Amino acid sequence: MNEVLSSRTWQHSMISLEHVSKTYGTKPAVLDLDLHIQPGEMFAFLGPNGAGKTTTIKMICGLLFPTTGVVRVGGFDLQRDGDRARQLLSYVPDQPYLYEKLTGREFLQFIADMYGMDREYGLRRMAEVIGLFNLADFVDELTERYSHGMRQRTVFAAALLHEPRVLVVDEPTVGLDPKSVRLLKDLLKQEAQRGVTIFLSTHSLDVAQELADRIGVVANGRLIGCGTLDHLRSQAEMSGSLEEVFLKLTDEKDVQDEKGLAVEI
Amino acid sequence: MRRDWPLKSSELFPAEEASLARPDGPFPASESIIARGSETSYLRLFHRLRARLVANNTDYVLRQSPLRIITILLCSSLIWWVVFAISMGGMTYLRSKNIYLSGDLIGIVFNILFLALTMLLVFSTGIILYSSLFTSQEAAFLLSGPAPADKVFAYKYQGAVMFSSWSVLLIGSPILFAYGFVEHAPLSFYLLMPVFFLGFILLPGSIGALCVLLIVNFIPKHRKQILFLSGALVLFVAGYWGYETLAFTPAYNWDREMLSRLLDRFSFAQNLGVPSHWMTRGLQAAGRGALGRSCYYLALVWSNGLLLYVLAAGLSTRLYRRGYNRVATGSSLRRRYGSAGMDRLLSKLVGFLHPQVRLLIIKDFRTFRRDPAQWAQILIFTGLMSLYFTNIRRVYLGEVDWAHQNGISLLNLCATGLLLAAYTGRFIYPMLSLEGRKFWILGLLPMRRERLLWGKFAFSATGGVLIAELLVLLSDVMLAMPAVAIGLHILAVAVLACGLSGLSVGLGACMPNFRETDPSKIAVGFGGTLNLVAGLIFLSLTIGLIAAPWHLYAAGARDPDQIQEANAMLVIGLQALVGTALGAMATVIPLLAGARLLRRMEF
Repeated sequence: MNEVLSSRTWQHSMISLEHVSKTYGTKPAVLDLDLHIQPGEMFAFLGPNGAGKTTTIKMICGLLFPTTGVVRVGGFDLQRDGDRARQLLSYVPDQPYLYEKLTGREFLQFIADMYGMDREYGLRRMAEVIGLFNLADFVDELTERYSHGMRQRTVFAAALLHEPRVLVVDEPTVGLDPKSVRLLKDLLKQEAQRGVTIFLSTHSLDVAQELADRIGVVANGRLIGCGTLDHLRSQAEMSGSLEEVFLKLTDEKDVQDEKGLAVEI
Repeated sequence: MRRDWPLKSSELFPAEEASLARPDGPFPASESIIARGSETSYLRLFHRLRARLVANNTDYVLRQSPLRIITILLCSSLIWWVVFAISMGGMTYLRSKNIYLSGDLIGIVFNILFLALTMLLVFSTGIILYSSLFTSQEAAFLLSGPAPADKVFAYKYQGAVMFSSWSVLLIGSPILFAYGFVEHAPLSFYLLMPVFFLGFILLPGSIGALCVLLIVNFIPKHRKQILFLSGALVLFVAGYWGYETLAFTPAYNWDREMLSRLLDRFSFAQNLGVPSHWMTRGLQAAGRGALGRSCYYLALVWSNGLLLYVLAAGLSTRLYRRGYNRVATGSSLRRRYGSAGMDRLLSKLVGFLHPQVRLLIIKDFRTFRRDPAQWAQILIFTGLMSLYFTNIRRVYLGEVDWAHQNGISLLNLCATGLLLAAYTGRFIYPMLSLEGRKFWILGLLPMRRERLLWGKFAFSATGGVLIAELLVLLSDVMLAMPAVAIGLHILAVAVLACGLSGLSVGLGACMPNFRETDPSKIAVGFGGTLNLVAGLIFLSLTIGLIAAPWHLYAAGARDPDQIQEANAMLVIGLQALVGTALGAMATVIPLLAGARLLRRMEF
């Protein structure tokens, strides 16, 4: 399936980045990124710190615009038709924002209203996500009193409340206990099976290996590998775990960059 | 219009993949599920959000820290009544003396007041809007959601205007109430007053918003320089104009011609195209009961305010997201910071302290100087006070008697003390709480924990002594105060700097708030308010014991050089000694209490 997926163009893709580059001042953060992710696909985006993962995610959410290239979600160009694209997606950042002086329930209600959910349906979905994420014990307390895990669960509940077609998640497992990580993994699997496209940026290689249909490896702003784990293994010319493959690919990229730099000098 | 919920799975992901593929455009399925919320739904939603946040916050503060609410209300009421009493006195005086052109004088005061408020609001709304639109976490959260950019802009704009215009209400309303009472204005004046205010705040708020949108979109790399330069330009023009006007104005011996020439200097504020003039004319007409005329100016204020707002909101649909992108990515990802000459100078200044304490002071100073939001406020207040102190000599010395000179010198000392209290309450008190999240490193360092407190105390006292002594010396030299007064003032300021620093650092350690990362929120919490109240009491006692006795004694003398009576000086000296002892207690006791708690504290 995945070889077929990778050959498709943006007309078939739920998330599509076409030759996207992004610079901060004069420093490039993302370079000529070409990526197409299909409906219902779970895509894991891996890379060392500062590789350009969060910048890419912010471009997918329309928070940042590409310097060159086009980003589309559900076929909508984020720069020209961003409001319509954002109706389709939910974004869970690595440092999620909650209104400290709202209770969890009030925050969920705000999200339901924000996405124009019918009152009755909104209440029903709220009850569902409160149950799903075990929020009942603290959902009526101000969020400023929440621990990291409670905040993370509330943010995921809010992200899934309006049944998005695209879920963009940045480092979802940081600070979660093993039980919560298991719950999260199961939930992401279920959402993908329901047809939700999931773009998952993570440093947890075991999560990526277990969940992802395809894995993209980015280093120094460039996509240096993309495909199934087997595809990445053959690219790295080795048969090991994702960790070994990842380290080999990124080490090779570093060596190439150093050589390139030496040639330039 | 709301979309139909729940969505059917077939609607989300049609079974036929072919139907997803549209070479000519987006998915038909996705188009069908796009919510096309009506214009008002987002605005109503944001209003509900704000109302809920305010209600929850009020409830929380009332439960957690009623002292804070009481202090805010008392201080606000005090300021309101003082402004009202001064305005009432001034306007009644002008009316009773039947001073030539008194009506125009009040008009000029209004023109200047509204012009100053306009400038103030343009800057304050602009700065608040910049941070809330482009750098806040909430902005990123809202922009990643489905709300259109102009709706987010409108929500943020309303918040910024409300936040920045409370001062207009606090300072403007007592002046206008006084005007209404003196002029025996009809009821319609009081009813129209808030309508005028609401329309008025739209104007500078929208100008500030337009400036911010244009600057971040078209000159994002130089936005700080532009803000600094425009602020400096406004201050320079206002300062130059003020200096010229003061140089031209005698304190006494006014005549008709002099008054007319003075009024001419304010003619720029009476231009018909200036919004502040519409406010003045409209409110004066309302005060006279000329409703038609008043409503004409009201319409001018509102129509222009709304036009500018619509322009800003319209521009935000195209420029807000673009500007957000530019601010987020306009500069390099990484910026290099190094040590500065100021760090080395401070290190030498506190060279007599333990090396660990010295390192902690330099760390705090670096954090402080790299956050313009922190030092800019001190710089502005210190700059304004310096400007005032350097100008008092010309205004007062030659033409005011010794009693006034004596009083002004004491008031200047009080103002400097208040600046110190504000500095320690706002910046020093939260410092220990802010260390909470870094305690995994500070707590494990091979040093005694109380050194943290001594470091912060030394940092605060050094900065406080340097700034405040300079200010009070400037004031006393300008007023040509006798050496005894200068000596007592220097002592009072040193005691204040140490005592207020000790109180803020010690109480900060006794009542830390490790959950909060925003220093302003820590400063206005229960502990911060208590620290402010304790600081103000300490300030009153210190000045009351060290400086006030000499000033009271000197007030009775005609010539300051005659104040040398031995017995009186002995009593003054003893009182100063008591004041100094009080300062030592205010420094040491809170620090020791804080150190004891810090040693036992678990993180």
